[in-house]
Amino acid sequence: MLKDTTRSEWLEDFEAAARRPLAQGWRYAFIKTYKPVMDDAKFRAFDTMEDYRRWCEQNLPRWLGYARV
Amino acid sequence: MPAFEYKQAEEIKQAFKRHRICYLFIGKSGAILLGFPDTSQDADLFVDRSVDNGRALVAALRELGFDLSDNQASEIERGKDFVQLRHGPFDLNLVLAPDGIERFEDAWNRHVDVEDFPVCHIDDIIGSKQAANRERDRESLPRLRAFREYWLKNRNQ
Repeated sequence: MLKDTTRSEWLEDFEAAARRPLAQGWRYAFIKTYKPVMDDAKFRAFDTMEDYRRWCEQNLPRWLGYARV
Repeated sequence: MPAFEYKQAEEIKQAFKRHRICYLFIGKSGAILLGFPDTSQDADLFVDRSVDNGRALVAALRELGFDLSDNQASEIERGKDFVQLRHGPFDLNLVLAPDGIERFEDAWNRHVDVEDFPVCHIDDIIGSKQAANRERDRESLPRLRAFREYWLKNRNQ
């Protein structure tokens, strides 16, 4: 269950974001940090989403959060 | 590699328009375009699977500065379900079969244009994250659902 304070903080965030022009919001939104393994290859292609999900589970560090629950 | 810049998103929009590519922003990058205040590292594009679209996509990506070998181009043209590009001017994921969405056409019929960026409807973005059911999605879904309520209430204002 969400706390009312969390909800109202989120609402404030949404309203503040709505006031920003798209280009400005974009600048805040896209960041780049190195993701181990994930960022170590320049190109990967998977026949199916299932192959991709399995690859993530078997190869990426768990803390990246790509494993299925 | 630097972060994905708005100017580059504009370049995608223009190049994809020139090449008549059928695509939609999806995932967190799509939600950000709808106004969701959060962070992401890359852009996810849901691309319609067809031979012509695949060929046009390769041409547009090369134009944007993605250094694709012939083998890589061929994999994109063949319509692999998921392609991760990390050797261009920004990080990009091509998703041809996102979890939770049956057909591109369905998502297209529900899509939203944001300053001419074609974006999946918030319900498809949430549905796809729900279906993927990854740890990172579980963490972001409550806030995304709250944003959905806000967005639906305020989208036409």
